[in-house]
Amino acid sequence: MEDFYDVVVIGAGFGGSAAAKKCADAGLKTLMIERSENVGDKVISGLTIPIYGFLFGPDFIRDGNPPFERPTDGIINYIIYDIDAGDMDIDDTLRVPRPFSPVVTFGYNTYCKPFCEWQARKAVDAGSELRTSTTVVDIIKDNGMVSGVVLEDGSRIRSKIVIDAEGSQGILAVKAGIRKKYPPEAISLADTYDYVMDKKDLDRILGYSLRFCWGWDEQKIAPPLGHGNGLMVWPYRNSVHFMQDHCLRLDGNKVPNLKKRFQEYHDNITTKLPLWKEEIAPRCHVRARMWEGFEIYVGLDPELKKMSNHDDGIILIGDAAGLESTELCDGVPAAWFSADIAADVAIEAIRAGNTRKDFLKKYDDRIKDHPIIQWSISSRNRYNLRYAQEKHDKRLLKKYVHYAWGMGQLTHSLTPILKMTFRFIKKDPAIVTKWIKMYFRYYQNWLHESYDYTESRNRIIDPGRPKTGEAVFKILVGGQDLILKILAPIIKLLAIPAFYLSIIANPAMKILLPVMRPVYKILRVPLSPLGNWLSDKVVRFVDRADPSLFEVTPGQSIISQKGSINLKKD
Amino acid sequence: MIKTHDDFPGVEWIDGTGDFIRVNSSKCTGCGNCMKVCLGDCWEIVDQKAQIKTLATCMECASCWYVCDAGAVDFSWPKGGTGYRSDWG
Repeated sequence: MEDFYDVVVIGAGFGGSAAAKKCADAGLKTLMIERSENVGDKVISGLTIPIYGFLFGPDFIRDGNPPFERPTDGIINYIIYDIDAGDMDIDDTLRVPRPFSPVVTFGYNTYCKPFCEWQARKAVDAGSELRTSTTVVDIIKDNGMVSGVVLEDGSRIRSKIVIDAEGSQGILAVKAGIRKKYPPEAISLADTYDYVMDKKDLDRILGYSLRFCWGWDEQKIAPPLGHGNGLMVWPYRNSVHFMQDHCLRLDGNKVPNLKKRFQEYHDNITTKLPLWKEEIAPRCHVRARMWEGFEIYVGLDPELKKMSNHDDGIILIGDAAGLESTELCDGVPAAWFSADIAADVAIEAIRAGNTRKDFLKKYDDRIKDHPIIQWSISSRNRYNLRYAQEKHDKRLLKKYVHYAWGMGQLTHSLTPILKMTFRFIKKDPAIVTKWIKMYFRYYQNWLHESYDYTESRNRIIDPGRPKTGEAVFKILVGGQDLILKILAPIIKLLAIPAFYLSIIANPAMKILLPVMRPVYKILRVPLSPLGNWLSDKVVRFVDRADPSLFEVTPGQSIISQKGSINLKKD
Repeated sequence: MIKTHDDFPGVEWIDGTGDFIRVNSSKCTGCGNCMKVCLGDCWEIVDQKAQIKTLATCMECASCWYVCDAGAVDFSWPKGGTGYRSDWG
């Protein structure tokens, strides 16, 4: 007998479990199928999930208590011209300044496994079923219509819609003729190390900032610019995550010996970069090494970008849909956004009784209409970096690193981010309060390692804590919430022109940044002590405050469970 | 059975994957692309043909499949609950 579901989701990673959760919430009979023994076992990344993923992603993540390794305030870029002579520039302009940092962040660093487990638990709590240790080997097609999946034991599971979240390889989608295999030029192989380090050392040496390295090819310090992400170092809670990545092939040239190159880069950076050699190396030891491929160039290829991500009865999401960002090299926000959209379309399609591609086309239309997805998969800055490198032009290299990974980023990211902001405000102005509470809640959770499904969610709050900060927070945020609710009709109306006006934000930044930069540099010297003082005050307040201040769903259930999600194979 | 490898700490490989990567020798040109991109050292060239040396250090990235211009490499997912796993990805 064949099992039947409304929705089958292939893969319980970042995208798959977000889609399953939403479908299950809507009352659809939903099944997630995961090939690994435990959810997250096979998910690899060096991971900062940028803040826009949380602000504009699934509600349950924004309003929940997901696990983090460390908030991050931004990026410090080392632009290395001659490592032996110590000739390098630093661009640290893309950082949230104090007093906003570390509560207001650029993003959150996390290991993939606990985060995917957290999401999958939420989907299961919502009613989705989960089968682990189960590999889907094929998709069932009846007269061209996808109507389920075939498992490795030959059993078949029928469904009205299949959501394919199997990852960048897209083996099943390629096999079923839904999309083509990506060329090696579209794939970047990421070689990843995890180093254990004492938290106190980490706080002092790396703090909340990511470190990126960029260098000329012949330096063998970081993989070639524009065709790899260079080299990235993430501070986690008690560990340093290190990733270097390189395109599998450049412009139809010979495939490079990546094994040899990665070893060379890794040896050079860890023995020559002063930060690593003098500060990090003596205090860390390697815990893990692994690798994975990412399709970060799909959005830059007009033909690949045009490929449809749906067919009769099936929708591809996240990496399976080629949505890895070439802009900031992040895949999770687009996986969440596409999962949200796919679930919405699946729910609508099932309710309308039409799961054919004429209906599911809505999915690709909404992906194309998503300002952040389109911006993030379309940036051509990598080609600029490559050009600067080939020209061996320091000025150009600095300029393009600044425009990709420094404050110059705002000249191409501000418009899509503002568009999404106003789109959300138009829907519900009270979202602003939820965003603010999210920052505070996430930071407090990180301080106390207090995430859903952990015992520390039930920690005892000090009854003798100072209450002034809490009173101030209640008045400010409560007052703001009240104003947003009273003025909601006007705010919603204003959000419409603001949405359209945000198109001028990017060009405006091009004019304003050169003026703002020197002013900021001058001001930050005298203002820095004040910023640090205020930041420390806020951190102390968040540390001791009653967590209910930051909750957005009163009475939210807290379940104490531990261990990996591993349901028995059916 | 679970295996580890000294060169790749923090990763475990669970037995029983099956032959999830296969090579069609008649299509293989012996170019060695698969060997060059494999960080797990899973490939070797014997008599100018690529062949799999081991799948016990494969991280299932499919790079060998992507770079095979001759279309000689067939990649599928290993059996459920087998292959690599790590807590540190």
